[in-house]
Amino acid sequence: MKKLISVLLVACMLLTGCSGGGDGGGNKPKPEDSKIVVWVGEESAEFYQKVCDEYVAAHPDFGYTVTVKGMDTGAVAGTVTNDPSAAADIFTVAHDNIGKLASTQCAKPFADESLIRQVKADNPASFQNVIYSTLNGKEYLYGVPYISQALFMYYNKAKVSDRQAETFEGLRDAAKAAGCKAITVTGDDGFNNSWPLLASRVPDHNTSVKIYAGAEAVSGGSKGTSNCQGDDTVAIVRWLQEYAADPNGFKWASSDGWEADLKNGGALAVIGGAWHYNSAKAALSETNLGIALIPTFTLTDAACAGLSGVKAGDVYRGGTFADCKVFMLNATSSADKYAALQTLVKYMSSKEVQNESYVNCLNVPAYVGASDYIKSCFDNGKVTESQYMLACKQVEMAEWGIPQPFLTGTLNTYYYSKNAPAVLRAIIDKTPYPTTGDVILSETESLEGIRKGLYMMEYLWMHGQNPKEFPATLPVQA
Amino acid sequence: MTTTLNKVPKKKNIDLLEPLKERISNFRKRFEDGSIGTKLSHFIFGAGNFYHKQYVKGAIFLLLQIAIIRFMVFCPSINDTPYGWKALYNLSLTHLSEGGDFDPVTGAFTIGSDCKLIILFGFVTIAVIIMYFMIWEMNIASSFKADMDEKIGKKPTSFRDDLRELLDSRFHITMLTPTCIAALVFTILPTIFMIALAFTTYNSQDMNDIGTNLFHWNGIQNFRAVFTGEGSLGVEIKNRFLPVLGWTFIWAIFATLTCYFGGIILALLINKKGLKGKKFFRTVFIFTIAVPQFISLLAVRNLLGEYGPINSMLVNLGWIAKPIGFLGLHPSDSEKIAKIMVIIVNMWVGVPYTMLMTSGILMNIPADLYEAARVDGASTVKMFTKITLPYVIFVTTPYLISSFVGNINSFNTIFLLTGGGPAYTGYQAGGTDLLVTWLYKVTIDQGSYNTGAVIGIFTFLITATITLVTYRRSKAYNEEDTFQ
Amino acid sequence: MSEMVVKKTRSRSRARKTSLGITYVLLIVLGIIWLVPLIWIVLSAFRCEYQPDGTFIGTVTSNFFPKAYGLKNFQDLFTATYYGVPKAFPRWMLNTLIIAIIDCVISTFLVLSVAYCMSKLKFKMRKPFMNISMIIGLFPGFMSMIAIYFLLKSIGLTGNPNHPGYSVIGLVLAYSAGAGLGFQVAKGFFDVIPNALVESAKLDGCTNFKIFMKIILPLAKPIIIYQALMSFTGPWMDFIFAKVIIGADNAAYWTVSVGLYSLLFGTHPDTNLFTQFAAGCVIVAVPIVTLFMFLQQYYVEGVTAGAVKG
Repeated sequence: MKKLISVLLVACMLLTGCSGGGDGGGNKPKPEDSKIVVWVGEESAEFYQKVCDEYVAAHPDFGYTVTVKGMDTGAVAGTVTNDPSAAADIFTVAHDNIGKLASTQCAKPFADESLIRQVKADNPASFQNVIYSTLNGKEYLYGVPYISQALFMYYNKAKVSDRQAETFEGLRDAAKAAGCKAITVTGDDGFNNSWPLLASRVPDHNTSVKIYAGAEAVSGGSKGTSNCQGDDTVAIVRWLQEYAADPNGFKWASSDGWEADLKNGGALAVIGGAWHYNSAKAALSETNLGIALIPTFTLTDAACAGLSGVKAGDVYRGGTFADCKVFMLNATSSADKYAALQTLVKYMSSKEVQNESYVNCLNVPAYVGASDYIKSCFDNGKVTESQYMLACKQVEMAEWGIPQPFLTGTLNTYYYSKNAPAVLRAIIDKTPYPTTGDVILSETESLEGIRKGLYMMEYLWMHGQNPKEFPATLPVQA
Repeated sequence: MTTTLNKVPKKKNIDLLEPLKERISNFRKRFEDGSIGTKLSHFIFGAGNFYHKQYVKGAIFLLLQIAIIRFMVFCPSINDTPYGWKALYNLSLTHLSEGGDFDPVTGAFTIGSDCKLIILFGFVTIAVIIMYFMIWEMNIASSFKADMDEKIGKKPTSFRDDLRELLDSRFHITMLTPTCIAALVFTILPTIFMIALAFTTYNSQDMNDIGTNLFHWNGIQNFRAVFTGEGSLGVEIKNRFLPVLGWTFIWAIFATLTCYFGGIILALLINKKGLKGKKFFRTVFIFTIAVPQFISLLAVRNLLGEYGPINSMLVNLGWIAKPIGFLGLHPSDSEKIAKIMVIIVNMWVGVPYTMLMTSGILMNIPADLYEAARVDGASTVKMFTKITLPYVIFVTTPYLISSFVGNINSFNTIFLLTGGGPAYTGYQAGGTDLLVTWLYKVTIDQGSYNTGAVIGIFTFLITATITLVTYRRSKAYNEEDTFQ
Repeated sequence: MSEMVVKKTRSRSRARKTSLGITYVLLIVLGIIWLVPLIWIVLSAFRCEYQPDGTFIGTVTSNFFPKAYGLKNFQDLFTATYYGVPKAFPRWMLNTLIIAIIDCVISTFLVLSVAYCMSKLKFKMRKPFMNISMIIGLFPGFMSMIAIYFLLKSIGLTGNPNHPGYSVIGLVLAYSAGAGLGFQVAKGFFDVIPNALVESAKLDGCTNFKIFMKIILPLAKPIIIYQALMSFTGPWMDFIFAKVIIGADNAAYWTVSVGLYSLLFGTHPDTNLFTQFAAGCVIVAVPIVTLFMFLQQYYVEGVTAGAVKG
C-alpha cells in the first residue's frame, strides 16, 4: 500500500506541485494583452463585433483586437461575481446590478474625462442618477448606458381593436368575445411584476409609491424613503385582484412560456419589453402583432370601498421600471488596457452606434432625443412599422416609469430577491403567503390583509428582511 | 465525514495505535541501524538510494523533495492567491486584504482577497505537506530495505526490478494509482473544501448586504442556525428543512418501490409463457432507458404543460374545465398532484430498468419450485408472493439499497420536471424539492454556499448512515469474500 | 379417457388463452404509454406549421399530431447561430462526440482496472478502499463543482479566453476522474469468473499483468461493452457540470446537452425554439438509441450484474 501511495504522490506532485511551482507566479489565464473581450446580449453580438472590427480597422494605433460574445445578459452579473477573472473586459448588465458588482469588486470605475462628459451630455437625468456608485467614499461612474428598456404591451390585433387595447376594460371585452384571458406577463420577477405597483394616475402621473426616493447610502437601517401603503396602491391591488379573478382578466404566464399563451389563444396580450419582440412576433405573426402602451384602468367601487384617498372612476395607467443596459469594466482587467477599454466603451455607447444598434438589433437607444432618429428611420423605411411602434411606445412608456432604484450593493437586491415580488404575487392571487419571518400573512383578501402585505413589501425594501411584527395600525407612513 | 469514516474500521479500533507505535519504532530502528546513506536520507531525499547506486530512484526522490520545497517556499500564485506557506498563513482568513484601491489615472485596481481560493489552496498545500512526509518515510524505507538486502548479500533491487514488480506482485498499485490520484484531486479535495465552507460566512446575499467580498470562519453557527433560524437563510432552513427531508424520504421510498414492483410485474408480463414478440416488447420499453434523461424528462414536462397535448385533450373531452398544473410549475398549483405526478413519471423512467434487471433473475428461478407449487394447487398470485417475490428480493437487496440512496439524490427527475415546484412563496424550497435540488437552488441560484454545505452534509450523513447500516448487514457484503 | 380430463385441459387452455390475451392488451397499452412522449418529441421535431402570414410556429402547441410536416426545424438547427456561434449545433455535437469517446476510453480502462484489483488481487487496503469509495460517492456533487472548477482553473483547464478549447480537456478529466470509483458493477462481473482460472495461470508463471491482459479481459467483453456504453452516453446527458467547467461564455465548446438545455431555457431574441429543441433531441437520441439497441444484450448483462452486486 505504501508503494501505492508513493506512486499516487508522485503523480499528484506532477499535477499540483510542479505545475504550479514551475512558473512561480503570474499564471493568469487572462486574455493576451492584445485582446479585448466584450460581452453583450445574444441578439446584439454580431452587430457589435462588426462595430468593433470597423473601429479597430479605422484606428491602427488602437493596438487591440476585440472579440464580442453573445451572453444571456440576465445571467451575466452572476457569472461575473462567480469568477471575475474569467469574465470579459467589458460586459453588459442591466443598471440595477451596478451596486452589487461594484461592492463586490467585480467592476472597475470609469475615469476618462471625455467619456464622463459624453455620458453626462447624452443621458437623461433619470439614468444619470443610477449609474454611479461609491468606492472608498468617493463617487465614480460605473456604468455607461447604451440601451434603454421599459415595459409596454404586445397584443393580438386579430382579436383586439386598437381602441380596446387602450384600456384593461377594453381588453376584457375582447377576451370575453374570444373566450380567453385578456392579458398576461412575461414573468413574475420584480421587473415584470412592476407594472401594477408603479401605476400612476392619468393624466397627472400621480402616485404615492416611492422606492428609495432621495435615498443616501447608509449602512443598515432605513435607506431612503420607500412607501407603497398609500390608498391608491391599495385600490390598485384590489382592482387587480378583481381583474385576475375575472375569467377574462389577468393571468400569469403559462409554464410553457407566455409565447404559448399568445400562440394558443390563452391570452390576448402580454406586457413585455423590446427584447420580447421577435418572440411575440413569432407567436402572433407580423400582421397580428399590435404594440401599445400598457393600458389604463378605471378603479371600481369595490376597489375603492373604505378608502379615502381614491374614488371610483379614477383612471390609472400601468407603470414600468424605465431601465438601461450599461457597459461595465471588469475589475480584474489589466491596467494597461484601461485607456483602450474606456475608448472602446465611449465609441460603442456613442449616439451613432446606438442608432445603428436600433436599426440592426432593435435596441432602443438610451440617449436623450433618440425619438427623432427613430422617426427618421421609419420615414426612410429602415425599420418596419411594428419596429417603429415598439421604439415609440417604449419611449412613451418610459415617461410613465421610473428607473429601477439602487444605491449601494443592497437596495436593488432587496427589491428583487428578498421576496417583495413574491408577496405581491401572493396578494394578487389571494393566496396566503407563508412568510419566512415571525409574522404570517395568511390572509390576503381583506383590506387589512392587503395592507399587511404592502407593509411587508415596504419593510422588505427598507430592511431586506421580513418585519418581526405588524404595527397595530396600518398604514404606517414612512 | 470523519465520524462516519471512523465507523468503518471500528472493529479494528484496538489496533489503531499499534501501527503508529510500530511505525515510530521503525523510524528509530532505521536511523540507528541504517547505513550512512539511510541516515542521510532523513534530510536529503534519495541519498540512500544514491548510496546504493539506485540512481533513478534516488533522483526521483530528490526531485520530489526539491519540487515540494520550492512549492512551499516560493508560493506560486494563481489569481493573486498563493500556494505554499503563504496559503497556510492565509488559511486562518484573518489576514485578508480589503482591496478596492483605485487609481483613476492608470486604471490600477487592487482586488480584495479571494477567500474561496484561499481555503482551497490552503487545503491543497496541506495535502502537499502530508505528501512530503509520506515521501520522506518512503525514501527512508527504500534505503533501509537496500541496506538489509546488502546485509544478507543480496543486490539492492534495480529500477527495472521495481518496475517489473509493479506489473506483478504490486500490480494493484499500478492499477489503482490513476483512480486514487483522480479521486484525491477531483473528489476528496473538493469534498473537504465543501465541508469547510459549512463553517464559514460564505453567503453571497449576506456579503452583498454588508458590501464585502470577504468571508470568515464562524464555527458551527451555520449548523446551529438549522435549529435557531438565524442568518439570512436560517428561517428557511428552520421552517423547510424537516418538510423537505420528509418529502425526500417519501419520494425515495415511493420512487424505489413503485419502480421495483412495477418492473417485476412488467418483467413477469413480458416473460409470460407463450407470449409472442417478447423481444419486441422489451425493446419498446428499453427506448426510455436509451433516450438521454434530460430529453425524455423535458419531453414529458412539455407534454404535461398548460398547452401541452394532454391538458388540451382532457379539456376537449370535457373532463376538466381548465388545464391542470400537473407539475406544480405555478405557485398556485396543487402540491399533491405535483408529488404524485413526479412519482408516476419517475415510474415511466425507472420501471423498464428494473424490468430488464429482473428478467434475467426470473429466468433463473428453478422451474421445479413452480411445478411443485402447482401440484399443491397454488394460485398464480400465491406463487408470485411465495416464490417469485422472495427470490427476487433476496437476490436484489443490494440493488434496492443503492436505488433508494440514488433516489434520495435523484436530481434530474425533480429538477427537469417540476424545478421543485410548486414554489412556496417566500422560500427557496418548493413543494417537490428534494434535499439535493434545494441544495442546488441555495448554492447555485442564491450563492449561499455555507447553508448549502450544511444541507449537503446533512444529506450525506443520512445517505451514508442508511448505506452503511444496510449494506454492511447485507449478504452481498458479508459474503463478498466467499467469492474469492 | 374421461371427458372430464379433456374438459379440464380445455378450460385450462381457455383460461390461459384469456390471460394471455389480457397480457397482450396490457403490454400494448403500456407500450403505447411508454412511447407517447418520445413519439411526441419526434412529431414536434418534424412539425412545420405556419401562421396565416407565414410566421413559423415554434412553441408548444396543443395538437399532438402536427398539421404539417417538414424538415425546417432540422435545417434551422444546423444552420442557426446560437450565442454568437455560427452553426453552433453541429459544433456541439462534435464536441460531445469527442468528449464522449475520450471519456469512454479512459473511464472504461479505469473501471476495469479498479474492478479487477478489487475482485482478483489481495492486498491490505482492499476493504477500506471499497468502503471509502462507496462513501465518497454519496456526497452531493454540486458543492464540489466550484472546487473542481477552481482546481481545473489553476492548471489552466477551464475556458480561459486564450485557450477556450482547454476547457474540453478539463471536462474530460473531471468526467473520467470519478469513473474509477464506480467499479461495483464490473467487480460483480469479475467475481463470477472462477478464481481457479487465475490460480492456474499463476502457477504457470504468469504475472498479474499478463493474467489481466490475457485471461480476464477476453472474458470481460460484455462488461467492457457495458461500461463503454455507460461512459459514452454520460456526456450526452449532463447539462449543469459541463456548463460550469466550460463556461457560460464559451458557447463554441459547449456540449450538446448544455446547448439544448439553453435553447429551451436560455434567453434568445426569438424564444420560439421548442420545435428546434425537439429536432436537436431527435438528432442526439437517434445514435444513442441505435447504439443501445445493438448492444442491448450486453447492457442487460451489465444491469443484471449490477443488480446482484449492488
